[in-house]
Amino acid sequence: MRRWIIFGLLIAVAAALPLFLDARGYWIRVLTLTLLFAAMGQAWNIVGGLANQISLGHAAFFGIGAYTSTLLLINFGLSPWIGLFAGAALASVAALVIALPTMRLQGHYFTLATLAFGEVMRVIANVWSSLTGGPVGISVPFMAPDPLMYSFRTTVPHAYIALLALLLVTAVFVWIDRGAMGYRLRAIKGNEAAAEVIGVNTMRVKLSAAVISGALMGALGTLYVQLALFFDPDTAFGLVPISVRVALIAIIGGVGTALGPLIGAAFIIPLEEFANDLLSSGAAGLSQIAYALVLIAVILWRPRGLVTLFDAVSSKVRKKP
Amino acid sequence: MAYLQALLDGLLIGGVYAVISIGLTLVYGVMGIVNFAQAEFLMIGMFVAWFAWAYLGLDPVVAAPLSFAAAFAIGWVVQGQLIGRVLKAPAVAQIFLTVGVLILIENSALMLFGSQFRSVTTPYQTMSLQLGPLFVSVPYLIAFVMSVLCGAVLWWFMGFSWFGRAMRATAQNPTAAQLMGIDTAFMYKMAFALGVGLTAFGGAVILPYTTVFPTVGGQFVVLMFTVVVLGGLGSVAGAVIGGLTVGVVQSMSTLFFPIQLQNLVLFVVFILVLAFRPQGLIGAAR
Amino acid sequence: MTILAVNGVSRRFGGLQALSDVSFSVSRGQIVGLIGPNGAGKTTFFNTLVGVVRPDRGSILLEGTDVAGWKPHRVAARGMTKTFQNVALFGEATVLENVLTAGLLRYDVAGARALALSCLERVGLAGAADKRADDLSFPERARVELARALCTEPKVLLLDEVMAALNHVEMQEILTLIRSLRDQGLTLLIVEHHMKAIMAVCERILVLNFGRLIADGSPEDVANNPQVIEAYLGSSMEAAE
Repeated sequence: MRRWIIFGLLIAVAAALPLFLDARGYWIRVLTLTLLFAAMGQAWNIVGGLANQISLGHAAFFGIGAYTSTLLLINFGLSPWIGLFAGAALASVAALVIALPTMRLQGHYFTLATLAFGEVMRVIANVWSSLTGGPVGISVPFMAPDPLMYSFRTTVPHAYIALLALLLVTAVFVWIDRGAMGYRLRAIKGNEAAAEVIGVNTMRVKLSAAVISGALMGALGTLYVQLALFFDPDTAFGLVPISVRVALIAIIGGVGTALGPLIGAAFIIPLEEFANDLLSSGAAGLSQIAYALVLIAVILWRPRGLVTLFDAVSSKVRKKP
Repeated sequence: MAYLQALLDGLLIGGVYAVISIGLTLVYGVMGIVNFAQAEFLMIGMFVAWFAWAYLGLDPVVAAPLSFAAAFAIGWVVQGQLIGRVLKAPAVAQIFLTVGVLILIENSALMLFGSQFRSVTTPYQTMSLQLGPLFVSVPYLIAFVMSVLCGAVLWWFMGFSWFGRAMRATAQNPTAAQLMGIDTAFMYKMAFALGVGLTAFGGAVILPYTTVFPTVGGQFVVLMFTVVVLGGLGSVAGAVIGGLTVGVVQSMSTLFFPIQLQNLVLFVVFILVLAFRPQGLIGAAR
Repeated sequence: MTILAVNGVSRRFGGLQALSDVSFSVSRGQIVGLIGPNGAGKTTFFNTLVGVVRPDRGSILLEGTDVAGWKPHRVAARGMTKTFQNVALFGEATVLENVLTAGLLRYDVAGARALALSCLERVGLAGAADKRADDLSFPERARVELARALCTEPKVLLLDEVMAALNHVEMQEILTLIRSLRDQGLTLLIVEHHMKAIMAVCERILVLNFGRLIADGSPEDVANNPQVIEAYLGSSMEAAE
């Protein structure tokens, strides 16, 4: 219950902030990115948290969504709103392709396989220049502001779309967690062989989780590039910028919890911006070093995620007679 | 004929890949952790060797023990202060701690050394020996011989020294090892430091024919993991076979694919192995 | 009415022939015991029945349908499931969650919860529903496992040493439960080392040795079968307890 109060508060703050920020400014962009990455972390959370399968290849779905909607826009003038669904659909196909052979893999093997898939997509995008523009990247075409074509005058609509996306993905997460699928996923996590024997179709459950997670991630890829307006294979399919980052956000916040990704994103994204601003004028790489040190510190201090802070605090409060 | 040449080159390079990757499999075998930062120690080894060449005039191959020592020391601290603390934490925490270490090391190098590419020149760099119709590249050969020597020392160490046996005991059953008086925390430091030291040694040895820059680790990550998975996570002998196989696959693929796609071939091999035989080519079936 | 017909089931693991040409049939409502020395292949045999292990050869007809080689969840849907020898609960979940998950095979969450609670009642653990499964004692966990298996509404239930570590009173309770399950229409196959218990509740006993079925008959016949006695290293049945 406590966690939902915190979630509600954070959402309320996020909803109110755009009213106080410069509509084309830097901070509203940070807010939008925070919300988008929180949503991505939540999508990852479905596989990484509920199914307990640590994926380091979610960039594959993200990039597929990004490239699909952008290429459809450039080549056919298709609105990104529709391209979003096309990207999600393709990403879910990719999720099936990736999940089928890797599902039986345990622990680290699964993680390594997903990492390889993400990198495969990145290399393909780099090499297939005729389709993707190659390493040079693609720009989302400049358009006159038109909500139907996902083009806006200011960043404010992007922020609210990101907020809605976060709420939607969280709703999916909770629906899975609380429903029959959640029980089945927890059973698989507990003892996969026993789960099968009592009637859980482990393959179908794991595949479903992967497809849902992949589809959501693909849709979020579209949302991201409509904000960023430019991307290349190393960004869209990037291991560190996307795959690691969305996983970290869920983990630092609290993997497997609905509140975790929001807390994680609220911590990590501003931290990155802060490190970049403050320290990139110093030596190259200094900001990343600071960032890495903070991450390492948080993992050592709270291996189960920052969300446990709230539990620890409240249990201290209860001890007072 | 081109095939035989590619095969020979592949085997020579593969021997080095084996030494580079043995560290990764050793760490997993003893501690159960996949060290995602392993390739960064390759970079450290290469830089140490480069600086030894630039400022002390040492041939990188001669400097390889220095690379080993530097990585050993850094690894000892990393394991003791960081990784050692999450051995009982959930696997996610372990994975991402090593990822944090990766970012830390890579950017420290970037900050200290700058992003430019560096390479060495050695008198034998372009030499090759003739073996019948085939050419044996001297840098490859020297790297291979050094790897074999390193492998032999490691084999003796693991099989016949007290440390080696203690490490294997810790790998098989940490609790029993402790009951026998083995300080498992010390063993973990030893295993990790040894593992990253070996990778760094390999880095020094390949410097005569590669370039070094702070993000060079990224190019070797999938390669190292492919070697280790092919050979079976945790198996040192497997890493040798995996290394040779990957070397040959990589070398052969240059005959058929343009350079940008070579990594792709490796990735695909990696995924196929994971999909169909995750226990490795010689591992025991589950 | 034959409910389970096993024919020629064999399985090899590397150099070991774990099961050799096992054949028998079971009528609806029977309680059949499966005994044999350690390593005889009893658990492996149960594993082939529920689909954890695929037999190399042979057929397993459950109400006329051959389920040999089917994945366990399909076999469970068909009506056959087992309990695990050393208890395989989902440790971090509550007792209720453990049992409820099995009910999801045929019902939605609400229905599964209702069924789970009634299954827990039948094994006498209704009060422990909200406890963490890992926090229970071993005999209690074995009973949760039994409740979980019941929650799949099986027609044929395989019990793998469900009476291990029970005292005399607890054992009587389980035996009473087993009889009542039979009265409610279940068919049961039981692997057990407690000879007195098996003799008391089973009307028929199968004996496995080195993967082969060496005896199939009433408890008295089996107890006096020289091959069976020899299989237990020459000791008499009483001494085998």
